[in-house]
Amino acid sequence: MIIAAGAVGRTTGAVLGRRNPVAKLGAAFIPALTLLVGVDPVSSGLILIAALLSVPAWGLTWREVFRRGWPLLLGVTTISLGNALFTARKGGAVLVDAGPFLLTTESVAAGSTAGMRLAAIALPGVLAVLTIDPVDLADSLVRHLKVPARFAYGSLAALRLAPLMATEWEILGRARRARGLEPGGNPLAAIRLFGGKLFALLVGAVRRGSQLAVAMDARGFDSQRARTTARISRFGPADAVLLGCSVALTAAAVALAVVTGAWNPVFSS
Amino acid sequence: MSPTDNVSHRAGTGLGTRRRTWRTVDIVVASVLGVAFGLIFAAWNNFVYPTVSLPLEATPFSPVIGAVWLMPAVIGGLVIRRAGAALYTEVVAATTSMLFGSVWGLSVFMSGVWQGLGAELVFALLAYRRWGVFGSLLAGGAAGLAMGINQSIVTVPEFSLGWKAVYVLAAVTAGLVAGILSWFLVRALARTGVLAPFASGRVQAEV
Repeated sequence: MIIAAGAVGRTTGAVLGRRNPVAKLGAAFIPALTLLVGVDPVSSGLILIAALLSVPAWGLTWREVFRRGWPLLLGVTTISLGNALFTARKGGAVLVDAGPFLLTTESVAAGSTAGMRLAAIALPGVLAVLTIDPVDLADSLVRHLKVPARFAYGSLAALRLAPLMATEWEILGRARRARGLEPGGNPLAAIRLFGGKLFALLVGAVRRGSQLAVAMDARGFDSQRARTTARISRFGPADAVLLGCSVALTAAAVALAVVTGAWNPVFSS
Repeated sequence: MSPTDNVSHRAGTGLGTRRRTWRTVDIVVASVLGVAFGLIFAAWNNFVYPTVSLPLEATPFSPVIGAVWLMPAVIGGLVIRRAGAALYTEVVAATTSMLFGSVWGLSVFMSGVWQGLGAELVFALLAYRRWGVFGSLLAGGAAGLAMGINQSIVTVPEFSLGWKAVYVLAAVTAGLVAGILSWFLVRALARTGVLAPFASGRVQAEV
């Protein structure tokens, strides 16, 4: 399958890369939630630039981020175009006028703003997730956000089945090919084959999950006694500083947007 | 539908006092379903979404092909039949796709929360007692409505009000499709016998 087994994030040694997962996600959440409130190029642009500049601090390389993130670029482009076409703001000079499709300078600006805002919402989270190991995330959620341990570690156990499922998906495809079941360019046949594979995958997954649950219960997973932790998750001063910086940056972005007059609440148009 | 309702009173561990708490098998199977869909999401997000659906994506009709996003919520609810199952399964699916490198970052997680809440709300309004095709359709539709509203704030904030309405309607349509597909899928799953640990898997025995 397209998803490699090692596709999950890994902790890096860089200054942001080794922060607590909860702090990283929190730092990405603050601008993402704030940007939902308004649509303007100033606050989105500032957050986007800050996120792009922070790439080395996460212990990532530009090449790596681009290799993983190019679909975002493509998606943002089409979404910008969509917003430009279907916006109510059609002032300014006409750029393209082809039947129902009308693009003007104002509509293109509005579309680009929407695209940039989406990129600014997505990118900090992408950077955070690229440097988060799911095991650390589960530990951190239980320790610092008081997420119920059974749910955090239960989902972690299921996540560990992901590479198996990816392999199984490939095997299901090969089994069908051996039987002569190939779509051969027919989209309807492709959909039917996909549905069959998906169903077989889910049956296998549920069966394996039930067995896993029995094995976990046999090891006292459901025990009512107080639980101790095997690994220690620490939320240190540096993690608090990361959250503080995120708040400060987000506040600065919004303040700058308000001062320059660009601020535009989402429901105003 | 009615034989199912009779069964659900004895669901879970068989101990009346623990009927409302989640067993390990509930947690793990809900998670596994979420993870399976999360992998599909991740593949969809990064490859199908920007390539195959490219011509559609720039239009207000793009949500119609989004039924796959909403299925984990309905399936989770139908299989586990517990309060929170729809929301939990959808959030696990969204988180999995995020961890496996979805390029949409935390916006995927937020979509998961809203869509899961939409389906969860319907199951809650039905008092977690009705798991038939009607409930599935409603749950899917509500998840679709949540998706449409969330996306119209996140991805298409500049659409005019009329086009936003079209966008949300397209999302609700996708939700109804997801609801009916999920119902058929869970029925088929029950027939294979893999849902034996759940009340949803005992439907066949009653027929």
